[in-house]
Amino acid sequence: MNGFKVLQVRQSVFADNDRRAEELRQELKKQKVFLLNLMSSPGAGKTTLLSRTIEALDGKLKVGVMEADIDSDVDAKTIESFGAKVIQLHTGGMCHLDADMTRQGLEALGTDDVELAILENVGNLVCPAEFDTGAVKNAMILSVPEGDDKPLKYPLIFSVCDVVIINKTDVLPYFDFDMEKCSANIRMRNPKAKIIPVCARTGEGIDKWIDWLCNEVTAWRSP
Amino acid sequence: MHELGIISALVHTVEGIVREEGLTEVEKIVIEVGELSGIVPSYLEQCYPAAVYKTFMENTKLELVVVPGIVKCRGCGRIFNAAANDLQCPGCGGQDLEILEGNDMIVREIVCR
Repeated sequence: MNGFKVLQVRQSVFADNDRRAEELRQELKKQKVFLLNLMSSPGAGKTTLLSRTIEALDGKLKVGVMEADIDSDVDAKTIESFGAKVIQLHTGGMCHLDADMTRQGLEALGTDDVELAILENVGNLVCPAEFDTGAVKNAMILSVPEGDDKPLKYPLIFSVCDVVIINKTDVLPYFDFDMEKCSANIRMRNPKAKIIPVCARTGEGIDKWIDWLCNEVTAWRSP
Repeated sequence: MHELGIISALVHTVEGIVREEGLTEVEKIVIEVGELSGIVPSYLEQCYPAAVYKTFMENTKLELVVVPGIVKCRGCGRIFNAAANDLQCPGCGGQDLEILEGNDMIVREIVCR
């Protein structure tokens, strides 16, 4: 091994992304822009919840949305029809967004007239949890048909979330989904997570979600 | 492909260290992969050449060290290997576990000329 040098590093593989994410967060603080990272499995209801959220915030907060998908712009078109400023991000096959991709997305969206920027992450419970996007808060949606044991199967994503929205409560009578058990499973992974049951389709519980969101945005935007 | 994105993150992190330390010609990197990190070591090895293609890490070797996932049961305090026990305490059957080790993916060493 002559001429070789071994550098002892012991740094997280994600160290570079974590640093970029923190820089982005500091810039957003100065610009008074609140960035929410919204994660879930495919089909949990991210786009429907977003549509409801935009409707409810109409006249209260200026909202901008970044729709991240591996391909297609189906979701962006839906969101646009609800009157929010929206851009579509294509990840080109990648299963998540990192801090740099998020920064590029925010630049493309333009944040001068945005108070709340929402990043709809790629539908996936594994990779998005590992990459800090620079968001101020992380939210995830767990829908009733996915089951109350999801927090046991995908512990990481539940541990990084500030709020867990349990969606599709209207179908509770048809599934063996125990809300108490689900809450206990979430608390095991993350005692601090706020849990909000909603039905994005009927609008039930949406007021509690909007209250949480508005409080967080106000707190972030005040000096 | 989950592991592909992770290697891209790895390339950025190593690139930063290499620049900071003024290193040239990276030969090999040694990575610790925790059993509870959600990363599959064999997939990582398979996609490594493709992920570093046309980066400064092309032609570098990858060495993986798997770190066992050790957890402590919050119910009875028992410490055990999580993967071998299917994330369930062999003492009391509890699933409320605190991760002690094996949760991360860490760059342990960079070998260079």
